[in-house]
Amino acid sequence: MAMFQMAMSSSSARVRPGQIVAVALIAAFLVFFLLIPVASVIVTAFRDKATGAFTLVNFVDFAQTDLFVRSFWNSVYVSSMSVVVASIFALPLAYYTTRFEFRGAAIVQTLGIIPLIMPPFAGAVAMQLLFGRNGTVNLLLDQYFGFKVPFMEGLNGVIFVQSIHYFPFILINLSAALRNIDRSMEESAQNLGSSGLRLFRRIVFPLAMPGYVAGASLVFIKVFDDLATPLLLNVNQMLAPQAYLRITSVGINDPMGYVISVVLIVASLIAMWLSVLAMRGKDYATTQRGGGGLAKREMRPGDAIPAYIMIALILALVLAPHIGLFLMSIATVWSFSPLPDAFTLKHYATVIFDSGQYIWNTVLYASLAAGIDIVIGVAIAYLVLRTKVIGAKWLDYTAMAALAVPGVVLGIGFLRSYYGVILPGGQSLATYWVMIVLALAVRRLPYALRACTAALQQVSQSLEEAAENLGAGKRRTIQRVVVPLMTGGIVAGFVTSFATAAVELSATIMLVQSTSDAPLAYGLYVYMQSPAGRGAGAALGMIAVLIVGICTYLSHHIAEKDRARKAGTST
Amino acid sequence: MNMQSTLNPQVHDPRVLGAGSRAAGIRVEGVNLSYGTTHVLKDVNLTIRPGEFFAFLGPSGCGKTTLLRLIAGFNVAQTGQVLIGDTDVSTLPPWKRDVGMVFQSYALWPHMSVRKNVAFGLEERKIPRAEIEARVDAALELVGLKHLADRKPSQLSGGQQQRVALARTVVIRPRVLLLDEPLSNLDAKLRVQMRRELLELQRELQLTTIFVTHDQEEANTICDRIAVMHDGVIQQVGAPMELYDRPANLFVANFLGTVNIVEGEVKGAGPSSAFVIAGGGGTVPIPAGRDVPGGARLVFRPQNAAIAEPGSAAAAGRTRLNGTVVYREFLGGTIRYGVKLGATEVTIDMPHQAGETVLETGSPAAIDLSAEKALYLAH
Amino acid sequence: MKTKLLAAALASTLALSASIAIAQTPTGKLVIVTSFSKEVTDPYKKAFEKANPGVTVEIQNRNTNAAVKYLDETKSNNVTDLMWASAPDAFEALKQRELLEKYKPRVTGIPEKIGDFPINDPEGYFFGFAASGYGIMWNTRYVQANKLPEPKDWQDLAKAPYFNHVAIAAPSRSGTTHLTIETILQGEGWDQGWRINKEIGGNLAQVTERSFGVPDGVNSGQFGYGIVIDFFGFSAQGAGFPVKFVYPSVTTIVPANIGIVKNAPNATLARAFVEFLLSPPGQELLFEPTIRRLPVNPATYAKAPEGMPNPFNFKWTGKGGFKFDTDLSERRLGVVDALYDQTITFQLEPLKKATKAIHDAEAKLAAKPNPAAAALIKEARDLIAKMPVAEQEALSSDIVNAFKGGGGKEKAPRQAQLEQQWAKFAADNYAKALAKAEEAAKALN
Repeated sequence: MAMFQMAMSSSSARVRPGQIVAVALIAAFLVFFLLIPVASVIVTAFRDKATGAFTLVNFVDFAQTDLFVRSFWNSVYVSSMSVVVASIFALPLAYYTTRFEFRGAAIVQTLGIIPLIMPPFAGAVAMQLLFGRNGTVNLLLDQYFGFKVPFMEGLNGVIFVQSIHYFPFILINLSAALRNIDRSMEESAQNLGSSGLRLFRRIVFPLAMPGYVAGASLVFIKVFDDLATPLLLNVNQMLAPQAYLRITSVGINDPMGYVISVVLIVASLIAMWLSVLAMRGKDYATTQRGGGGLAKREMRPGDAIPAYIMIALILALVLAPHIGLFLMSIATVWSFSPLPDAFTLKHYATVIFDSGQYIWNTVLYASLAAGIDIVIGVAIAYLVLRTKVIGAKWLDYTAMAALAVPGVVLGIGFLRSYYGVILPGGQSLATYWVMIVLALAVRRLPYALRACTAALQQVSQSLEEAAENLGAGKRRTIQRVVVPLMTGGIVAGFVTSFATAAVELSATIMLVQSTSDAPLAYGLYVYMQSPAGRGAGAALGMIAVLIVGICTYLSHHIAEKDRARKAGTST
Repeated sequence: MNMQSTLNPQVHDPRVLGAGSRAAGIRVEGVNLSYGTTHVLKDVNLTIRPGEFFAFLGPSGCGKTTLLRLIAGFNVAQTGQVLIGDTDVSTLPPWKRDVGMVFQSYALWPHMSVRKNVAFGLEERKIPRAEIEARVDAALELVGLKHLADRKPSQLSGGQQQRVALARTVVIRPRVLLLDEPLSNLDAKLRVQMRRELLELQRELQLTTIFVTHDQEEANTICDRIAVMHDGVIQQVGAPMELYDRPANLFVANFLGTVNIVEGEVKGAGPSSAFVIAGGGGTVPIPAGRDVPGGARLVFRPQNAAIAEPGSAAAAGRTRLNGTVVYREFLGGTIRYGVKLGATEVTIDMPHQAGETVLETGSPAAIDLSAEKALYLAH
Repeated sequence: MKTKLLAAALASTLALSASIAIAQTPTGKLVIVTSFSKEVTDPYKKAFEKANPGVTVEIQNRNTNAAVKYLDETKSNNVTDLMWASAPDAFEALKQRELLEKYKPRVTGIPEKIGDFPINDPEGYFFGFAASGYGIMWNTRYVQANKLPEPKDWQDLAKAPYFNHVAIAAPSRSGTTHLTIETILQGEGWDQGWRINKEIGGNLAQVTERSFGVPDGVNSGQFGYGIVIDFFGFSAQGAGFPVKFVYPSVTTIVPANIGIVKNAPNATLARAFVEFLLSPPGQELLFEPTIRRLPVNPATYAKAPEGMPNPFNFKWTGKGGFKFDTDLSERRLGVVDALYDQTITFQLEPLKKATKAIHDAEAKLAAKPNPAAAALIKEARDLIAKMPVAEQEALSSDIVNAFKGGGGKEKAPRQAQLEQQWAKFAADNYAKALAKAEEAAKALN
């Protein structure tokens, strides 16, 4: 307790005008680009359709409609099972690459993030071609063994695809947590006679729990809110697809779509709150004074070979969508056969000739959005952790709540709130390309924010105090000490925001007004609407994956170097 | 927090260690260990007797922690072996060595209560529940923390965490106890108290204990014998006083206590040989039969010389040297003079008596050195 | 004061007409919202830009429903010139919301009707540029591998061998599928129509959420058969996929349309595009292998590629000789879609289970006649076919209004309530049908 008070009463506790300005700016951003648009959409849920008066009758209807109740429980089931399956993928990858001398750990970590970059439409189509009821695997199984496995049927299909798609969230968070476990924690247990799986179960995993829960709750929420995958697998009895189907159906002005949106938002908020509650007081700072830092253990050959095999299998499975996508992108015709009929490179020629604009727009939008995210992320993290400004905590909560807002709701909200605002030149603000960037920034802010917060938590406050003591002002201290020390975390936040923004479609599809402003995901959507466009769409998807993959690898490299640099100065 | 808990070795309960001592000796034979191109341990040979309180002493980076971790099984040597008792444990993994280690950071698991932490090793050994309870209680009592058994480690002070780490280790009745800088995270006052308690505990449990430290005072006060390490090489092994009085080389002399190392060279041979101080200041005769290594320097402790009135006759058995006072420090019981002796600055301690005259900075000083006590050491 | 105002008004009118005169040669940017794929729009964009130097055509791709929604949400500051899509009822919806501009194309040679279906909106708000018929496409490799028959008519898809091999897009999601369902309802009558729809429904492998989901799945061989608009079949063939397409006897030919959006920023250019689309060169572009749609100008068929049918030679109205009633279709659009979703899309599992049980029982019945069992099977089939609302009820203002925006009476049923009732009705009947069919099977053992 005494230590706590000491930390709280340090020099930075005084509220400064600059901090208030920062709070005001961020608050304005969140109000204008998150709260107002969302409110403009969900207000319909509370309106009587006939009279326009406030009512809760729509929520009563929701509870009394079997379809919605069934959809709700289906969503809960699919989300929970996706967390379980995603954990099975993520645990071995995270554990072996962080705690052991593992050849190719960087490659595994990079490849492990790629599933997050599943281009819309193309990814699911590729999965159908590989695992669908007449996909490669089932055709071969049927031919040689006379049976098929319904990987992609119904809710199981959604769980399968979603856990592949979102497991990197667990991988990233769990890896970070595992890296922070001081080696003495494991060694002391070994010294007392513990080893192998028991050591993992009793010591390593509980210590990494905060990271795991953070990742798992993210997976739960994303799966709960995601509509693209169930829609593409034609699973409609889940909440997010129900909301989307109703909101976008023609001729039907039905409040239920908005009611479901409210339910989605509330359920996600509850899930986030529960995960925070579960982890309260468990965020162990296990890198201790005098600790040994991170130790990578050597694996004995007897353990190493099964580990490598297991990891290779998991990677092959989680990269299946991209393998399928690649095959599709070089296929002429692929129909009811294990492999395409013939191969060609013409799709790439088409795409590169046609779609340079899409690629350029994507890189521009995603990097601007990710840039905005890390600036706001660093600012909020700093305000929350290092100052006593009133409302900083609320900024944090509000920004995180963006996680719970389905993309379609945000997109419609932007249109509703800003369509009437006309820019000089006659264009509407809502369809100005900058709004796509802002929508992406709002959608991806939670990722960057968490990464920045985690990074700042690991920067000792004494380092800042030292800089201040030597005459650096607050601004200079942040600029010269805090931000450089946070580099690793900032890069991680940037990459996650960038990579996921680059393939985001749900919010942007509402806001794209002209092809010249459209990002790659939209181009992909356009291609995937015609038989001849499938190959080209896949090629565009591959290019998206390649761009994001290269960026991820580079930043992993930077972060790794940064870590090495810091480790170098601390000994 | 107002209740300062202490170790209670007097409550030694046979349940903690069990009946009869399991203390085992340790032998390290021909160990070489490299990380890549860095040769960290160079041909280390060492024998530690059962029940001995032994220290690895040296500056940071000397290899002492590496050697300790080698014994615990966390490092693997390229050559040589480690024997505990009569068993070669070189190929055993850490969890099969039965060696208790207390980590510098204590490494208490934050997700477990104090009781759970202490019970961990016993649970891993599949000991019956009831026995675990009894032994954990006894161990916590031993370190005076039974009343805090249900706290989480983060709710304990540094000293208390240290005790929990100790209890967690001794409760498994290890054959050897390894302590990695156990006092370095404590404040000065607590450190002095803890080291005495550690010693009492060790005596009570009769555990073969290795204590790694860079603090010579810690090693001197509690250890039976010390291995001084430098650059991955054991420089000398011996009892604290032996190391102080008869260091094997300049490194050991310098590392243990204040010492004067005077530049110069040995002139003459046999009984007439003498050490000529570089830059003038005098010549010290070398007693007959003294083994002087090549390139040796003259080495003496501050208390082995005395400042005398310039011009007075040298005291019996002492050699007169002449220098100039460069500083004077009043330390209470003694006055420390810095004297420029030829090319070297030496330190001389004089007992302080009230009313005694002192030498001023810049004034000439006569030094009477006991030639018998002077040493001649090389690197 | 008054004269001053009048003068000002006159002056501005003059200025306006002057600017119209100047704008006679089309220039600038033309913004088209369309549900058509790049393969369709690109040739037109290129040809139109080539014919009108200085013009850029900006294509915005949205699915039909989203496009209607988008035009509605953005009407306050419209930036779209043209709406270009298949489903006439989407245009009907736009027209009713007053989102379209009247125009009379000057192109000649396009007849008023194909079969019984008027090509253009009689009031001149939108214009057909290509004809489309609905039909069945199938993957030949799939059909061969599973030793399945080739269908000829809608009823074929309801037969036992097709069980779990057919796909359809949800009519609420696909304007073209909605028309197919509506065509069957109008051609066969409400009760018989729903019976066919549900019998096909019982054989569905999937109800997709996008129109293109069906041809996509057939192309890749995920399903055997799909109920699609003709050009999906033709263009898949054009792209080299192993698929075939057939028009069933009851179908309707429906024009794909284009309409000028109200307050179009570049109305002159919009009109020029409409003219181009309907002109002989524009019509011929429809024969491109990636487009493959049926032109509405009969003269164009002289240049038709191998395998393209000429709809003007067809007898479109099939057996009923019915005339597709667009007004009726538009009036009950929401109701029909909701009925389909609540009784088929969202009840697919119980419906399939009951259907399978009926197929099994019928197979046994064929081997061993048994009047009691036959009666049970008929009961089961009737239970499946039963609808929660009769045709007239479905057109009642209470129900119709429940599916339309705003207004409505205070005590009228809400959409969610109706949907819940219908879903429960269907679920209960399917459960009963399953029991009957199983009982019949037991009797036949």
